[in-house]
Amino acid sequence: MRNKLFLILVISLLVLPSVLSLGITPGRTTIEYVSGLEKEVDFSVLNNEHKEMQVFLMVQGELNDSITLFDGMVEFMPSEESKSFKYKYKLSDSISLKPGPHIAEIVALEVPKASDTGTYVGATVAVVSQIYVQVPYPGKFVEADLNVLDAENNGTATFIVPIINRGKLGIGDARAIIDIYTALNEKVGTIDTDYMPISPGERTELTAKWNVNVPSGNYLAKVTVFYDGESINFEKQFSVGSQMLSIESILVNNFQLGEIAKLQILVENKFNQDLENVFANLLVYNDENQAMADVRSAAETVSALSKKELVAYWDTVGVKEGEYSGKLMVKYGEKSADKNLVLKVSEDSLDIFGVGYAIRPKGGKGVDMTTILMVLVIILLIANLSWFIFFKRFIGKRK
Amino acid sequence: MKTRKIMIMQMGFLVLVLVGLYFAYPKADVSVSGNFVKFDSINANVIMISENSDFSNPIYLDLEEVGDSPVNFKPGTYYWKSANSLIQGFRGKFVVDSEVGMVVDREGGGADLVNVGNVKINITKGGDGFMVGHIILEPEESQEIEDFGEYIGREEK
Repeated sequence: MRNKLFLILVISLLVLPSVLSLGITPGRTTIEYVSGLEKEVDFSVLNNEHKEMQVFLMVQGELNDSITLFDGMVEFMPSEESKSFKYKYKLSDSISLKPGPHIAEIVALEVPKASDTGTYVGATVAVVSQIYVQVPYPGKFVEADLNVLDAENNGTATFIVPIINRGKLGIGDARAIIDIYTALNEKVGTIDTDYMPISPGERTELTAKWNVNVPSGNYLAKVTVFYDGESINFEKQFSVGSQMLSIESILVNNFQLGEIAKLQILVENKFNQDLENVFANLLVYNDENQAMADVRSAAETVSALSKKELVAYWDTVGVKEGEYSGKLMVKYGEKSADKNLVLKVSEDSLDIFGVGYAIRPKGGKGVDMTTILMVLVIILLIANLSWFIFFKRFIGKRK
Repeated sequence: MKTRKIMIMQMGFLVLVLVGLYFAYPKADVSVSGNFVKFDSINANVIMISENSDFSNPIYLDLEEVGDSPVNFKPGTYYWKSANSLIQGFRGKFVVDSEVGMVVDREGGGADLVNVGNVKINITKGGDGFMVGHIILEPEESQEIEDFGEYIGREEK
């Protein structure tokens, strides 16, 4: 396989463009193993730079005999942002003998164009779309991880343990115990998660809350997941109070399309020392995901445990009404507080929405559809029964 | 005759219930474009979203606050249900595909490898048919590289 790649490189006498790029989606396709399963899967190769290029597609990895690719060398025109292709897989019985993931890779390699003038061969890129075939383990088997959210001083951190049942049997009760240690191996807390059942091949999340009453720094979580009498252990490091600076709000007053918009970005320094050279950088992307605006505020010092407004100006000449995606980065030292945004631009207003902006902390509305249907069935039964009794009595009396 | 009357009354009642259900049901559609997911709704005001089919640990998206704006999601499989003050709808599913993308940028004189996809990638460097090292890059991260050999990027586990 590697020889094939190398051969393609060697036979090309090349002059490289200043930017060489390539993309592929999806990056991974996961399939639960079923004996003899046969299916076609779509994938796309992305021409991010909108250029003329040749891409060589091939299959490699353990399962390459199970995959059929319908294309080899493909051409892209500058107008083609992406192209869709297909591959077909047929899962053989032989892989079922070994539980766990079995992998194949669809590799897309950009073949640099040959030129009359040069022979220089530079770095080349290839991107991979992976196919993971998960063969279930006999009995019960779980894969687990740990995510820690909102681990801020004097706050409540949420510990989430996502678990996947990779076994053939369902799990009645899974729960986890998390012990928290300092860097000096001193235990500072123990928390228990809730209990959840998991069907084979399914994923669920166990959660636990922890009142953070320790100083900022790195900690080690030692996690034990118990499931129907069995258990697994793993460790993961996490930080408390790692986010020193947060983006509080973005304000735009008196916006007029075609003029220079003033963006007032309020940031808060949550650390107990001043942060110097803090500046905001807003990127706005067009429909083709290219940056159409790149604006920066002046660098400021934000005092310890205080808020400060950073001001950036966006020249909206040539900008059309519509929705644009964007990214706001507030940089301090080597760190950055980032927020993905959606900017809704109209003639006289600019509305900015951030990720998580409208996410409610808790509580759903409405009654589950299954409950509704159950209630309806009961109502219909009662109605039928009532009519039946009513008419039986009515007819009985008349007789 | 009486049986017919009963049948008609039952049918009428059933139609009434179904019409009521039709109007009260929170109707919503989902469309995915890259990392952005847009929910179009007629009478739903909340969307429940979870990475798990059992809706453990869901997030609640208030459609009155979001309006028509798309919401950014990290790549993965998500389950969703629309809801209003009366009913929670049936479970739906959408997938935000991961994208593995790389650029070798030579504009500054040297060569920088940039992750232009939406997931963390593991890049193996090969030379003369052998793997000689690897780099891990988060989205939008870059690293200076030697301008030769092949760089193969795949989604990190």
